[in-house]
Amino acid sequence: MHTRSHVAGCTHTGSSLHHRAMRVLLLTIVVLGVMASSALAAKQVKYIGIHPIAKTHGGGFCYIEGPHVHTYAADNVQYRDHRGHKHFVGDPVAYGYDGPKHSYKGHHPIEIDAYADVGVNAPSAPQVQAGIRVGEPSPQADIRVGEPRPDIRVGEPRPQRHTEYCYLDGPHYHYFEPADWPDFKVVGGVYFYVGAPPKVYVDARPSMMKINAIYTPIVYARPVVTVEAPIGWIGARAEFIAPVVVAPAIVVPTPGIRVDIGIGVPGVIIHDHHHHGRGHYKHKHKKWK
Amino acid sequence: MTAVNTIVRSALVIVALLGCGKDDGKPGAPSAGSRDVVLEAWKKGGLTPSPFTAATVAFGKDCQSGTVNGVDVLVCQYATDEEARAAEDKALEWVGEATGIARAAGKVVVAAADRRKADPSGRTLNQLTKLLTPK
Repeated sequence: MHTRSHVAGCTHTGSSLHHRAMRVLLLTIVVLGVMASSALAAKQVKYIGIHPIAKTHGGGFCYIEGPHVHTYAADNVQYRDHRGHKHFVGDPVAYGYDGPKHSYKGHHPIEIDAYADVGVNAPSAPQVQAGIRVGEPSPQADIRVGEPRPDIRVGEPRPQRHTEYCYLDGPHYHYFEPADWPDFKVVGGVYFYVGAPPKVYVDARPSMMKINAIYTPIVYARPVVTVEAPIGWIGARAEFIAPVVVAPAIVVPTPGIRVDIGIGVPGVIIHDHHHHGRGHYKHKHKKWK
Repeated sequence: MTAVNTIVRSALVIVALLGCGKDDGKPGAPSAGSRDVVLEAWKKGGLTPSPFTAATVAFGKDCQSGTVNGVDVLVCQYATDEEARAAEDKALEWVGEATGIARAAGKVVVAAADRRKADPSGRTLNQLTKLLTPK
């Protein structure tokens, strides 16, 4: 027995309606499936290296050194995007990190060293050479600090080094050491950048200096630096001293004695006398293995 | 010259025989990057894998799942290293909405997902991943 219906001037039998409804239903299921898959892909955020855990996800610190995923986003001030992965470039100690750390003072370049073989880990080859190290300024004028770099697929040629910059004022820690690079001097166990940063560093300063507003209110044990800053240190060069006020702080431009007093910071006194010694420090690359 | 040739040939045969492990060529023998090797590496590294049982996933025919220190783990074995690498992205989908990793190690792909929040600092996931790295 067939029933007939009249919809918008068309005549349909019950069975053809049933088929059409089934098609629509199947199409809907497929579309929903694709949307769900896309939503999941969008929810996963790829990270490389250790980093703070978002407060919304419990806070604390994530100690996974290699590539991994979370379902929370990373900000653009404390993280740099490289090939689809987020790299933490802030001070891990501020978030309770208790692993090996290295002292720095002032701004400096950071080489984000995640090679094209991320995810390619045949037993005969190094698995993942991913990590961060402090390195040379990028000669590429078209790269902006903090600008995301596209993900690189297996087999694609390895691009040039990706140099980013740390804009943390004053003494701070990183979990990585500088690469073997002459534009760093180590004095009293503290790394000072004495190189000439490129235009990209200067251009990104206004937005990246926001990182100091994040760290100023955090109470934690910063490195205590009581040594003379070496000659050429970026923090003592007029062209790179930013007109940024981070209260409560008293900044007396060099030459002379610079006194930084931050909230919860042990007294930090930096004597900016010129220091002619060259740090003979064995730099090591921090790579995830 | 004939004697020299004979000696050289004999030496080559001996070298070839010595080069073969006793398990090589046997079906199911652990090879570099095999599931058994991975599980053994985790145990030696101080992790505690549960018994692993067969698992059905779309991106692998020879997969087993279990837990390692409370973290869900899936280990799939493939015929070639390339197949294993190609499965990494799909394995990441298996991780879903949890903190996790997906890595190829030789012919094996390991996916781990902390769905029960057993590893909030990621230390287990870190160790689990690092132990995949050949020394």
